[in-house]
Amino acid sequence: MEHNEKQIIQLPVLVSTRTDVGRLRREVEALENFMSQAAVRTPGTTVKMPKTSRLMDEILSINKINPLVEDDRRRLQSFLMEVHAKAPVLHMSFSADPSPMFMQKLTTWLRQEVHPLVLVQVGLQPNIGAGCVVRTTNKYFDFSLREFFKGQRPLLLQKLEGTKA
Amino acid sequence: MSIVELAVIIGVMAANVGAFVWIALRGGGAKKDDAPTDTFADQAQKDVEHIFNDEFREELRNRGRLHFEKIIGENAMFLQQDLRLTTSQLNEYMKQEITQKLQDEFSKYEKSIMDAKQMAIDSITKTQAAIEQQRQMMGQQLQQEVQAERARLIKRFEDHMADIVNHYVLAAIGDQIDLNDQLEYILSDLEANKEAIVRDITDGA
Repeated sequence: MEHNEKQIIQLPVLVSTRTDVGRLRREVEALENFMSQAAVRTPGTTVKMPKTSRLMDEILSINKINPLVEDDRRRLQSFLMEVHAKAPVLHMSFSADPSPMFMQKLTTWLRQEVHPLVLVQVGLQPNIGAGCVVRTTNKYFDFSLREFFKGQRPLLLQKLEGTKA
Repeated sequence: MSIVELAVIIGVMAANVGAFVWIALRGGGAKKDDAPTDTFADQAQKDVEHIFNDEFREELRNRGRLHFEKIIGENAMFLQQDLRLTTSQLNEYMKQEITQKLQDEFSKYEKSIMDAKQMAIDSITKTQAAIEQQRQMMGQQLQQEVQAERARLIKRFEDHMADIVNHYVLAAIGDQIDLNDQLEYILSDLEANKEAIVRDITDGA
């Protein structure tokens, strides 16, 4: 990771998955290729800048990166490669597909409380009812309603026994 | 009358007949064989022949024959009576003997039948007792197995009852809870386990 204060790059909350990081990498590469081709273009020829995605706009905006500057592009590319390779990934499974707003709030909290570059891999487990299941590199956390009911099983049996008596 | 007495009577009759025949033959033969030489003898012979002439002899023969026939008839009648009596006694004796034998055989047969019947009854009684004992044993065993199966089913039901209720509740309300509404709940759980997550991310890799 770059620890130089000048080179610190923040990862926007919209970029929450490793797929998003890979997409950004490809976009930066495409931009780099375009710039290389533009450098050797025939003078007077019209050039058309490639369109940038919302994620790219966000990361360029919050980090004040000029895509026309080669150093900034290389720094961003290096940052994205490093994030793609080394950023911690949390696998989180929900009972339904989370909305973008939900993911933004969740990613914001994770970036603030757990790790600033954490990525989230979303899964789907309809049988958990509610809550989520979190899997880190070495641990497994079940915060689902199913697990909560399992914990309350003695109470349920006690109530049923009371009803039967 | 016994057979010995009958034989004695027949012997006496035969002796009488023989005596008459011998006398008759003796009279005729004397006239032919002994030729009288003297006068007295001839005279006596003549008197004898005069007295015992052919008619008298024939008369004697007839009388002897009649007497013999009478005796024969009487004895035959006695013999017939004795035979009838003997036959009736024999029949009675045979009847008694056969009846006795039959009664003995029937009593033996009846005793055998009673013994066989008693044996069959004993055997059937023993078999019934064994069957009853077996039935009771099987009944107890079946009851024990039924109770064990019932206890096993109840335990299994109680073991799975919580899972069934959980599954039912999750299936019933799982789709009704919006994920956005769960955010606070999820964040609170994450907050509670934040240290473990951070430790695993920073140190565990």
